[in-house]
Amino acid sequence: MALDVETRQAENGATVVAPIGRLDVAGAPALKDAINEVVKNGPSKVVIDMEGISFVDSTGLGSVIAALKQIRGSEGGELRLAAPNQQVRVVLELTTLDRVFPYYATVEEALTGL
Amino acid sequence: MGTDHQDFVFTAELTELDGGLDILHRSIQRLREATGRTQDDRALMLFETALGEIGSNVLTHGRPPGIDRPVEYTLRLDGGTLVASLSDSGLPVHEHLSREMPAHESETGRGLAMARSLLDELGYERHGEVNKWRLVKRL
Repeated sequence: MALDVETRQAENGATVVAPIGRLDVAGAPALKDAINEVVKNGPSKVVIDMEGISFVDSTGLGSVIAALKQIRGSEGGELRLAAPNQQVRVVLELTTLDRVFPYYATVEEALTGL
Repeated sequence: MGTDHQDFVFTAELTELDGGLDILHRSIQRLREATGRTQDDRALMLFETALGEIGSNVLTHGRPPGIDRPVEYTLRLDGGTLVASLSDSGLPVHEHLSREMPAHESETGRGLAMARSLLDELGYERHGEVNKWRLVKRL
């Protein structure tokens, strides 16, 4: 099952990246490609809308960490996660990455103040 | 008597990464449907997460070039205990089994540590040229 990734611009200028499907070892490259496209245009404020992610594995999580490093590495860059399902939240908590990634209940909340 | 008391059995041969992962997730979905468990059943969700980790390792590293042997997969629910068995033809992995959870900034190396945490038992044995994995969780 391939991961589809939709990208859109929010009203405040932030980019919303919405992967749909399983963010696993097979799907992670599609998210990496999408993030590369976003950061190509300079410093970015990005929300990953996780509502469409049905399942995440450690490789998928690794692609989110790579995105975080890539985006926060540029001046003014910021990454937030929105609307993770229960499985994604469990994985974030198990790996204690919930301390690194502030996640928000909705995309709108994540965009507020970004 | 040889009577089979197993509540659920699913078997498959996995030959490629993406399709193999599809089959692993489908087997869990079949189990949900067969046992009336919902998508948010926590124990089964934790098991599926561990299965995804071991499954992706096995499908990535367990089919070396030149060896046609597929990954063999069985999922059994028996008396409330769920057991997944996977066998592959990859290199021995003993030295990776006790790997701890890496630092936050690491992009790799979490899979086995996650699987150990999520399961009641993660078994690994090397039989000749074959790795045998056993994932156990009481539901």
